[in-house]
Amino acid sequence: MSAREDILGRVRAALKGTVAIGAPGSPEVAAPTDLDSHAARVDAFRTRLAAAEGHLEVVADEAQAAAVLSEVVSQARAKRIAVSDAPLVAKLTRGLEGVELVDAADRAGLLAAEAGISCVQHAVAETGTLVLETHSERNRLVSLLPPLHVALLHADAILATLGDALAAVDPGGAGSASRAVTFISGPSRTADIELKLVVGVHGPRELTVLLIDPRTRENAP
Amino acid sequence: MTHLHPERFGENARAALGDEVLRGALRKATGLFGRQRGAAVAEMPEWEALRERARAVKAEALASLDVQLERFEERATANGIQVRWARDATEACEQVKAIAERLGRPTIVKSKSMATEEIRLNEHLEQAGHRPVETDLGEWIIQLAGETPSHIIAPAIHKTKRQVGELFAEKLGIPRSEDERELTRAARRALRHSFATAELGITGANFAIAETGSILLIENEGNIRLATSMPRVLVALVGIEKVIPRLCDLQVFLRLLPRSGTGQRLTSYQSLISGPRAGSGDEGPEEMIVILLDNGRSSVLADNSLRESLACIRCGACLNACPVYRQIGGHAYGSVYAGPIGSVITPGLQGLEKTAELPFASSLCGACREVCPVKIDLPALLTRLRADVVEGRAPGQGQRPRRPRRIEKAAFAFWRWLASDPVRWTLSMRVARLAQRAGLDRLLPPARAWRKGRALRPFAPRSFRERWKEDDRRGR
Ligand code: SF4
Repeated sequence: MSAREDILGRVRAALKGTVAIGAPGSPEVAAPTDLDSHAARVDAFRTRLAAAEGHLEVVADEAQAAAVLSEVVSQARAKRIAVSDAPLVAKLTRGLEGVELVDAADRAGLLAAEAGISCVQHAVAETGTLVLETHSERNRLVSLLPPLHVALLHADAILATLGDALAAVDPGGAGSASRAVTFISGPSRTADIELKLVVGVHGPRELTVLLIDPRTRENAP
Repeated sequence: MTHLHPERFGENARAALGDEVLRGALRKATGLFGRQRGAAVAEMPEWEALRERARAVKAEALASLDVQLERFEERATANGIQVRWARDATEACEQVKAIAERLGRPTIVKSKSMATEEIRLNEHLEQAGHRPVETDLGEWIIQLAGETPSHIIAPAIHKTKRQVGELFAEKLGIPRSEDERELTRAARRALRHSFATAELGITGANFAIAETGSILLIENEGNIRLATSMPRVLVALVGIEKVIPRLCDLQVFLRLLPRSGTGQRLTSYQSLISGPRAGSGDEGPEEMIVILLDNGRSSVLADNSLRESLACIRCGACLNACPVYRQIGGHAYGSVYAGPIGSVITPGLQGLEKTAELPFASSLCGACREVCPVKIDLPALLTRLRADVVEGRAPGQGQRPRRPRRIEKAAFAFWRWLASDPVRWTLSMRVARLAQRAGLDRLLPPARAWRKGRALRPFAPRSFRERWKEDDRRGR
């Protein structure tokens, strides 16, 4: 008998007489309900991202985003910058001066890059989490290998809860999720040596989110 | 490996109790995780509802495990994953070895996984001449040192900064340092090299999702992201009990697991991986293999009460809460699974032959049950296993029964006879008091054996009933 048949047979024998049950109730267990408005979601996202030691820069439009991006990059003294293949990343990095852009497919270049720039498909207000899908862009290594990850996020992409994000990555539970979906909350960290927190172990030491929120302009004095 | 001897629990525990560094580190780690957990749970008014929900989802998954596994296999295969099945540790190791062999002599990067430790995959691969590199910082430290993990979340907690500094100086040829940031940077550099050249990545999984044919991996360091993105071939070793029905179920477990383990709201990274790269424009492994591992799990499933232990999501909360674990740490249990849950699943997976001492390594205080995010009734399971030991039953199937401890059975029968009659009981208490005063309890052989690891409180000079009677007489 194959291992498959054997194991399934043992499982079936073990379950004989067991009544198969459905899990009762809705999957969304008392999720935070105070995140209904856009402003509340942006606010919660800010707070949680800060708690996870991520930085946030809010800009009103893409022009401002490009300006802030160039500041962030020069402050980090990043000369080699790894970029995903998202159109927005290409657009915002076009004006960067004195830097070398490294393509996401260039393994050796990625390993030597000092900063990585990608977009973010969704974010979660409840936890300050970024959600990156691979079918939208090549973001897997750009967001991981360099010591600084700059993530571009549209305010409309901030969802309230983890449940909303899971629904968004696989609409209708149809199995249409990206081959890889990465959830990111803050920089890479470890406490494996005497429980002392150290950021930037295998992944980025710094995470900066550029939040593009046109509503900030309307609210500006 | 030096520590994997559950039959030597007593010996191991005594060694641990004599290790001041270990005990200090354990106190710090379990105390810190416990406090942080408390704070993280306190901000969740819906905590109890979440636990109930998680328990229900796991119960549902286990009660329909065959269906869930078949669905997972079907969906994963449709996504381009090769799904394999392994009856036991040897089969699983052989399968991984065959993959490594096919790749020649690949650089192998591993991320922390209880399942691979359970089947002793590293030993197996090393015997065949491969050199798998652990990439979780704590795991890597103990791999360099040739040791085993002492804590599920912080595997190298028993090592001081100085020891790590000396180890790195010796093995990596770097200047000695006692700065944790410096040491972490050194590890990053060394392991980057392994990742850059890796052709085979080996991971476990926290969850397998039947509905989508995906696996989910939870971590803080980023080494799992690297191990699942950089090598050409990815192998994930997944226990059959890890499967959950739906993707949306994850929201429950993602809220519970990090909070229970370290008190984090969420760990830095979760990777949901549903297949190999989809064409040349994509990133990630060209080939992805999931090995579904039984290795005793179907026997545990067959045991109506022990089945519950398969719901464990390996958060580590019960270890941190356990007064026994807090004193002796993970090594003493002689198994990759330590603490209260380890004392249940090690006998469950291996049988009681060599593990009979483990169910007794608990004060049954119930702290583990209080913190368990899936509400596993650990004290009840430990009590049940104790009864198995005493009565010589084997949990699950296929294990040789132990010889009953006749003396223990006789003792309980005698106790029942004494306690079921008030006169006999009162008399026996007086006799016991006198016997203890005379030091007889240290002399009788069975009592002597029992007292080796325990201290008996002295009997009160007068029993409660005697005092009550006297006070009554005095008219109080
Ligand atoms: S038994 Fe419960 S508390 Fe212990 S590790 Fe498993 S899930 Fe966590």
